[in-house]
Amino acid sequence: MPHIKLPEGFPGIRGPMAFSPTTTKPLRELAEVLLHAPNTLSPGERELIATYVSSLNDCHYCQSCHGSTAAHHLGGNFELVDNVKQDFESATVSDKLKALLVIAGKVQKSGKAVTSEDVERARRQGATDREIHDTVLIAAAFCMYNRYVDGLATWAPRDFEVYRAIGAKTAKEGYLRPGGEEPIGQEIRS
Amino acid sequence: MKPMFLPEIENSPQPGGRGDMIRLMRSSGKEYPQIWHLFAYRPKATDLLGGFTQEIMRGESPLSPGLRELIAAFTSAGNHCPF
Repeated sequence: MPHIKLPEGFPGIRGPMAFSPTTTKPLRELAEVLLHAPNTLSPGERELIATYVSSLNDCHYCQSCHGSTAAHHLGGNFELVDNVKQDFESATVSDKLKALLVIAGKVQKSGKAVTSEDVERARRQGATDREIHDTVLIAAAFCMYNRYVDGLATWAPRDFEVYRAIGAKTAKEGYLRPGGEEPIGQEIRS
Repeated sequence: MKPMFLPEIENSPQPGGRGDMIRLMRSSGKEYPQIWHLFAYRPKATDLLGGFTQEIMRGESPLSPGLRELIAAFTSAGNHCPF
């Protein structure tokens, strides 16, 4: 049960987003710029960072949606997404992404936990300042999204197929698609 | 001021309001908050954060702007972020 009365039938962040359209617009646009718009980090890599941070924050809805979106960007590789969440250092991702995930994990604990050694490691693995910047901003933004979702105790479906469908649609169309605030089931029906 | 982790961000403020403020403060030798560099680096992303902040802090709400700023200040204190 959500802590406040939200429009019914909307899972996760879609409930408060439908409740408050004026704050929703910049939140959606930010997700689009951070995760979907062109960037030297692939959409799959950026979705993995978002998923990892959401899993550290124990946000079921966000880690499921973005994990599925990441998997669809990565050729349907859901196993890789699970490996990154459990132990990214031994997952088959680039050394650069591993170094960026270290930074993202630190941001999740506290911005002050990021050290110059963490930043150096990322640079040694070829990360640019822009990529380090974007990693920190994605991690910080997802702490906000995760807390928005769980701070209002929103409802999250448990059925994996729901997230498979949401991820497929988001990977293809991004975060600004019209009707993005529809109740659950839309992706499965369409 | 202590250098930031990412020199590229400090050294490449984009044209616009924040970049101008940085140049003004630098030329007068004054200190300024380094969050300005974050807002001047990738305006496409951070202007959205500005719009979000404006809406949530000053937009229509039964909570007064003062009360909303108090909530923000209290949370920032909890996060040990003095700025």
